Amino acid sequence: MKNRKFLNVAALCLFALLIAISGGCKKKVPVAPPEEPPPPPPPAKPTATLTANPTTIQKGKSSTLTWSTTNATNVSINQGIGDVSTSGSRSVSPSSSTTYTLTAKGEGGSVTASARVTVTAPPAPPPPPKKRGPTVEEMFTKKVQDIYFDYDQSEIRGDARATLAAASEFLKKYPQVRFTIEGHCDERGSEEYNLGLGDRRANSALSHLTSMGISSSRVKTISYGKERPQCTESNEACWQKNRRAHFVLSR
Amino acid sequence: MTKLLTPVCLLSMTFLSGPLPAAAQETDSQVRVVVTEGVRARVAVADIQQRGSESELDGHTRLFDDVLWNDLRRAGVFELVPKSFYPLKLPSQPYEVNYEEWTAEDVQAQNLVYGNSYMQRGQFVVEARLIDVNTQESIIGNRYRVDPDEEGVRSLAHRLADEIVLRIGGGVRGIASTRIAFVSNRNGNKEIYTMDYDGYGQKALTNHRSISLTPRWSMDNSRIAYTSYHRGNPDLYFRTVFDQRLIPFSHRGGLTTTPAFAPDGERIAFSSSKSRDPEIYVSDLRGRHLKRLTRARGVDISPVWNPKSGRQIAFVSGRSGSPQIWIMDEDGSNLRRLIKEGGEAVSPSWSPDGVHIAFSWRRRLTGRFDIYLLDVVSGRFSQLTRDGANNEHPVWSPDSRHIAYESNRFGSRQVFIMLADGTQKEQLTNRGQNTSPAWSNYFQQ
Repeated sequence: MKNRKFLNVAALCLFALLIAISGGCKKKVPVAPPEEPPPPPPPAKPTATLTANPTTIQKGKSSTLTWSTTNATNVSINQGIGDVSTSGSRSVSPSSSTTYTLTAKGEGGSVTASARVTVTAPPAPPPPPKKRGPTVEEMFTKKVQDIYFDYDQSEIRGDARATLAAASEFLKKYPQVRFTIEGHCDERGSEEYNLGLGDRRANSALSHLTSMGISSSRVKTISYGKERPQCTESNEACWQKNRRAHFVLSR
Repeated sequence: MTKLLTPVCLLSMTFLSGPLPAAAQETDSQVRVVVTEGVRARVAVADIQQRGSESELDGHTRLFDDVLWNDLRRAGVFELVPKSFYPLKLPSQPYEVNYEEWTAEDVQAQNLVYGNSYMQRGQFVVEARLIDVNTQESIIGNRYRVDPDEEGVRSLAHRLADEIVLRIGGGVRGIASTRIAFVSNRNGNKEIYTMDYDGYGQKALTNHRSISLTPRWSMDNSRIAYTSYHRGNPDLYFRTVFDQRLIPFSHRGGLTTTPAFAPDGERIAFSSSKSRDPEIYVSDLRGRHLKRLTRARGVDISPVWNPKSGRQIAFVSGRSGSPQIWIMDEDGSNLRRLIKEGGEAVSPSWSPDGVHIAFSWRRRLTGRFDIYLLDVVSGRFSQLTRDGANNEHPVWSPDSRHIAYESNRFGSRQVFIMLADGTQKEQLTNRGQNTSPAWSNYFQQ
């Protein structure tokens, strides 16, 4: 009997212990730190930005300065601008390249920011046009003009003599000029005969020029027959335009 | 020409009696080419009967019938019996020919062309026969086979047509297998083109994108000589027709143009302005052994050989003023003017039989150019065109029966062909301006 009573007490104790352990685990409460007053924050340091747009201007033109600050009580810009609001913008028109410096002061100290405006010289006015002589090409076109022929003829006409005289004057003055004489025909007659006729016209012009002292070594001749007409209508006005010797400067 | 043609003789052939004398028949004041002597043979051309049901066989056979009919019509030596007069049942084999039907009053055929066609081992085969209906003799019995494309079928019909013309058309070979070169600006620049004699198969021979002119066939048709500006100067070139190789001929300066192959195939005449005046020269095909034939102020150009003798050259000369046709021996001697009347006479072409020179002539300066024929021996001439347009640059076909030329009768300049009596004019080209026809020689078969 004595043993049995002991067992009952032990079981009861164990049970009580279990209750105590499990209850302690669930109901644990954190311990609060001791309460202290926070230290006063230090005064914030001011910040500042300053930009110029555009950064490069021509002399006489303007640029815009734009700034902003924080924690500043007094903001100023040098170069004669003086005190300004804590943020803002204004137009400047320096006569030479200038660096603008903004100073922002506050309880936390002072800070500066800079922006540079580069000033360039205005574009030079266009130079007065210089007197330029005509190129050889221009003179050739002006002085060495087409000559015209009668139907089915390769003889040099009176009007063509004057044209060739003017041409030879120019060609003597510019002995380095080399050129081609093209012979052309109107649309009438066979392609083949006109090839021959155009050849004769080109050579007729050449021999007239050589008779005036132009060396044939400067000249090439070519016949285009009726293959390259200037004018394509079927009438005498047009045909006359096509019966010609045409002069082309060689390059 | 590159197609494989294998004619097999099926029957013994009976030739007609020898060719009748071909000659120009002169009227009081004019000369006229007589394309056929007396009455033209009345020929019936029955549609080829198809032996097989392949759909392609039908198309090839219809094309063959069509090309053959047009070849025989164009030949100008037959009177074709209209197909509407034929018996309903057309023969395919000799035992199917009912001779009485073909000699009946409304048909009266002297000759009958008939045959059959079939496909065999991927090739189109035609067995064609030509008979004399009156004597019941067989004249042609050939089997032709060819790769079945349009070019092949056409060449096959052309070949049969040429054989028919040779046998019953007066003993002269037909021209259905010949080709024509010409100048066309259809793609912007003047280039040399070639086509079949009927205008089919037009294709560019050159692609210089310059100016190319004056094409002429060599005697063996292997090359075409022409003038081109593509290197800057108007020089003469040869181009091989088969593989289109370019062979420069002249680079002597000046103009080199209007080539003319001599009948001997060894020499070439042309005009050159290397002396600063266009003159006629002759050289070998490499330009060696150069010989100058003319020495006169004025244009000398457009030489043509007498194809029969190879001993004379006709050409255009401006020595007497306006361009005229002159003639000289091959060494430049015996020079004389062919047409004594005035105007402008250019573009001579000498008929292969040597009898005629065709040329274009503007008899009055206010008039138009027209095609004329000159009988070289008698000096008489006749006019072949008169339609108010410019008809220029005639060239003879190798059978001396046809002339190709250029005409602007419908506006733009186009290549036409006609019979040498001025009938059966037919336009061959239509895209762009097409000028300066040059007729090939016969191709070797």
